[in-house]
Amino acid sequence: MNRLIDFIGKIYVPLLFIVIEIVALNYYASSTSYTRAKMLTASNHVTDGFHRYLSDIGDYFRLRSENDLLLEELAAVRNELEALRMAVPDHTAGQFDYTDGGEYSYMVASVINNSVTRQKNYLIIDKGERDGVRINMALVTPDHRIVGYVLDCSENFSVAISVLNRDFRTGAKATDDGYFGSLYWDGVSPDYVTLSEIHKNAVIAAGDTIVTGYSSIFPPDVLVGTVEDMHLTQSNYYEAKVKLSTSMTRLGKLFVVNYADIQERILLEEGLFD
Amino acid sequence: MPRFIEYTVFFFAVVILQVFLFENLNLGIYIHPLVYISFIILLPMEMPAVWVLLLGLSTGMAMDATTGSGGLHTIATVATSFARPYLLPLVLGREEVKGGGIPLPARLGPGRFLRYAGMLVVLHCTVFFTFESLSWKYYHLTLLRVAASSVVTLVLLYIIQTAIPGSRDRSQNYR
Repeated sequence: MNRLIDFIGKIYVPLLFIVIEIVALNYYASSTSYTRAKMLTASNHVTDGFHRYLSDIGDYFRLRSENDLLLEELAAVRNELEALRMAVPDHTAGQFDYTDGGEYSYMVASVINNSVTRQKNYLIIDKGERDGVRINMALVTPDHRIVGYVLDCSENFSVAISVLNRDFRTGAKATDDGYFGSLYWDGVSPDYVTLSEIHKNAVIAAGDTIVTGYSSIFPPDVLVGTVEDMHLTQSNYYEAKVKLSTSMTRLGKLFVVNYADIQERILLEEGLFD
Repeated sequence: MPRFIEYTVFFFAVVILQVFLFENLNLGIYIHPLVYISFIILLPMEMPAVWVLLLGLSTGMAMDATTGSGGLHTIATVATSFARPYLLPLVLGREEVKGGGIPLPARLGPGRFLRYAGMLVVLHCTVFFTFESLSWKYYHLTLLRVAASSVVTLVLLYIIQTAIPGSRDRSQNYR
């Protein structure tokens, strides 16, 4: 009996080590983007104040470039409005009823935490449930470039999956071609994403612009980037290396996109697969 | 337990530094310094292995909770903490470890300190980035991340240890 106790006394540290590692590995293997986002949301209650303070400092230095961007965007919207006015005959002000809103509506949020160096990167934004942010809302830059989508919300902030996360998936296509592919990040460079499973009949070449499409999260035609290189895989699909147009390391203000019919679409999709 | 308050402060200091500074620096995909491992590396040499292991567990869990990395930091930190008591006498000699005290360059000499700390940092980064990528396809890139991040972490560790009282005084024996 004494020898047994002696023996356990000798090996209990390695034993403890093995037990802890098994539990940790098990937890790691079973964690998904959603469980990680939940954890981040919970701990953000503690770290939020300081993150906000740091991002405020960053905001200050981005003011100038963001102001320029804002004016450019304003000019673009003005032009589009003028074009619409021309296109709609006999238009007079106040003829349209805007109160119902469109299919997509936008709200502004600030990034308070963003990483790009990990394999699974997340963003935290300063708008939460109270501001109307919900799970699965898309995040785009003010000039309509892809960023990510919301995974979890608390009262005042939300955690979103970044396009630079190996669990990120969405549909995307080349602007001048009808064929779609699946967009993901391979975890190698923050400047490139991969568009895979493009049909071999697709007419797609280096320099083509890639935008989102067929997604229940992103509005159509959100800019992803340009094709830099492509090849035919063994399974006879094209795989394209896409230069990301968003500079993920320098995010400031973002748009949170609310897709009005998302609940209906999700219900329909779930019904199909049940 | 000796220097309990000092180590508690040090623990919070490295975790806060990591969470608010080094996780937000975005130095590119290859450089992700994991400075919080300094806490484990600079624990007193005479500390029982089980304590080092449990402190490693706490450090890892604190990091995982604040960065949303789903157990990754815990896996790496516990592995490093487990290896430390075996590595210490191998690199520094049994006599030195028995003497106890904080393993600082002022005490061990910069060469021996870098050899000891370097091995633990490389081990930590190897486990961390291997489990983070979980793929053999890009293992050469993972190795690059391990190498770059280890070097940066080690440099930062060397700077951080100067904040510890006694780090510049060679004559005194810390125990």
